[in-house]
Amino acid sequence: MDQRDILDHQFVTAAYVVTWTIQLAYLAWLGWKWRSEKRNAERRSRETQ
Amino acid sequence: MKKAAITLFPLITILLMIWGYYQAIYVAPNDAMQGEVSRIFYYHVPHAMLCFAFFAVSLVGSIGYLSYRRARPALAQVSDALALAGAEVGVVYCTIVLLTGPLWGRRAWGIWWTWDARLTTTLVLWLIYVSYLLLRRFAAGPQMQTLAAVLGIFGALDVPIVYMSNRWWRTQHPAPVFGGGPDSGIKDPAMLAAFGWNVLAWFCWGLLVLFLRYHVERRHQQYAELEAEAALGGLDPEGI
Repeated sequence: MDQRDILDHQFVTAAYVVTWTIQLAYLAWLGWKWRSEKRNAERRSRETQ
Repeated sequence: MKKAAITLFPLITILLMIWGYYQAIYVAPNDAMQGEVSRIFYYHVPHAMLCFAFFAVSLVGSIGYLSYRRARPALAQVSDALALAGAEVGVVYCTIVLLTGPLWGRRAWGIWWTWDARLTTTLVLWLIYVSYLLLRRFAAGPQMQTLAAVLGIFGALDVPIVYMSNRWWRTQHPAPVFGGGPDSGIKDPAMLAAFGWNVLAWFCWGLLVLFLRYHVERRHQQYAELEAEAALGGLDPEGI
């Protein structure tokens, strides 16, 4: 592997890591938001009982 | 049936993501001119195509909200949730396009960024939808949803401009992969398969997060409605 191949490999890795990090972070944020909305709904239903 | 579909769809999506990754990294051959760095194509281009699709969902939702907001408020709320979900998933996909593009460009062209038509119009599209999300996050009052819907429609006008930019103007960005003339298209079947699998995988992933975001927003709308009813009825929504 020459210097050019190593650099190419690093750039491909960086692009794939960036993609997965953003997508998984967004999914985690959605999960957190889902839980928080669910907690709100449960609290609301307890109050109305 | 519905429960089985809800369990099965994420599973199929995960399998498609793994298969798409395997195809892109281990099966598809290196590009003869660019070498290994051309593998960024299998993530960059599907995200670019799909961000257009999610902004189109946002456009449909925004038009729906403006059409139904007086006559059918319940349907207008559904449309509004869809518009928000489409815009947010579209911004996530567009962000990835704007980050993976410069990584590819640095190796292929020797520069991170250039103010050419395709790159600039994509950045403008991203900025419009980020403003849409900021408006939804920080504006308050009954007009917020209407203003957001109008901005969502105006934002979607940039999508065909981005799509046509490297046809209308001579740009640094390469010619379109599909529909860009007699020389366009992917000639190698293994490359075409890897590209197709990744489009399918990221499409399913996008549908999954769109579905989640839509339901989160619907829950939020229902909670806000109950809070408003409680406030009107003289009850404290926090139950103090």
